[in-house]
Amino acid sequence: MSDSKNENEVEIYHRVNKLKLKAGAGLHDGDGFIDLHSIKRAQAVIDRKETLYMNEVEDVLKKLRVAWEKMQSDDEETIMHGKEELYHYANHVKDLATTYNYQLMGHFGSSLRQFSEKIDVENKMHFVIVQAHLDVMFIVYKEHIKDEGGDKAVELKSIVAAAIKKYF
Amino acid sequence: MNAPKQKQKDPYSLKSFRVLVADDYPFMADLMTSMIRELGVEHILLANSGAEAKEMVMMFNADPGSPNHIDMVITDWLMPGGDGDELIRWIRDSKKDAIKFLPVVLCSAYTSEEIVTIARDSGANEAMVKPISAKKMADRILHVINHPRPFIKTPNFFGPDRRRRLEKYKGEERRVMKPDEVKETHERL
Repeated sequence: MSDSKNENEVEIYHRVNKLKLKAGAGLHDGDGFIDLHSIKRAQAVIDRKETLYMNEVEDVLKKLRVAWEKMQSDDEETIMHGKEELYHYANHVKDLATTYNYQLMGHFGSSLRQFSEKIDVENKMHFVIVQAHLDVMFIVYKEHIKDEGGDKAVELKSIVAAAIKKYF
Repeated sequence: MNAPKQKQKDPYSLKSFRVLVADDYPFMADLMTSMIRELGVEHILLANSGAEAKEMVMMFNADPGSPNHIDMVITDWLMPGGDGDELIRWIRDSKKDAIKFLPVVLCSAYTSEEIVTIARDSGANEAMVKPISAKKMADRILHVINHPRPFIKTPNFFGPDRRRRLEKYKGEERRVMKPDEVKETHERL
């Protein structure tokens, strides 16, 4: 890059498309594609791993509970560590659940992740909201509830919504 | 007017590609790497944080003459110990061509509109909205190969051109530089 003194300077870099060459095409060839069978095999990998969902979500929920316990510690560093873990494990729950269309679990994972960005660790009322999330997530897991629309799902969502409304 | 280029008859071969996947969640990281392997990529590296991804990029791409450069980075957005945004900005800030021009695909659960803005402004080449699927992943990889954009350097930004379509601007002329003052560099093989 040049060391021009012009502070508004704009430079455009046109690069050789080496990836296209590496993929076996010529620079001036038209668009290429990925073999459809490969894409189907790749999707089959995702689909096959759905059998692991229940064990995996249980594992992440347990980690969430440990993070939550850390947040109730007296040590400030442990609390902050727990808060960060809560955020990331909630994100993991959301990623996992939405991959396999477990909508309700995905909803609560997303809700807890969003809430954990706003948690004031000095405000014990906020802890009630975290607890409400964890309680309903374990119920969703144990009762194997997948969709968001059923009566139980609506009831669980209303519990969390009420906790957020009352304590946030 | 140029005739449209014909689509290729044979599929791309991705077997010599080296792809780095950065994701802190082992289950998703395993899912991504298995999926990418099925798409034909034989060399896949895995980093469980942005910091580890930086180390790997340095290890493989710092030497301009190395034959083992990472060709593409696929990174999650939210990671402890250095997130996707930080990783992409670090890549684009590098002084080394084999690092700063690295294609990056950003994965996030944000809505498609949000992630397009985030990816565009951070300097990512492509964005993929979660939940992941093989088709989405294949589409993003293909887009990087089929439609690379030129890189733009301005005082506030370095990364792929944020305009995806080059259309004539019809609004008020506000450019500080005239088009013929813009420096253009064409890489040669």
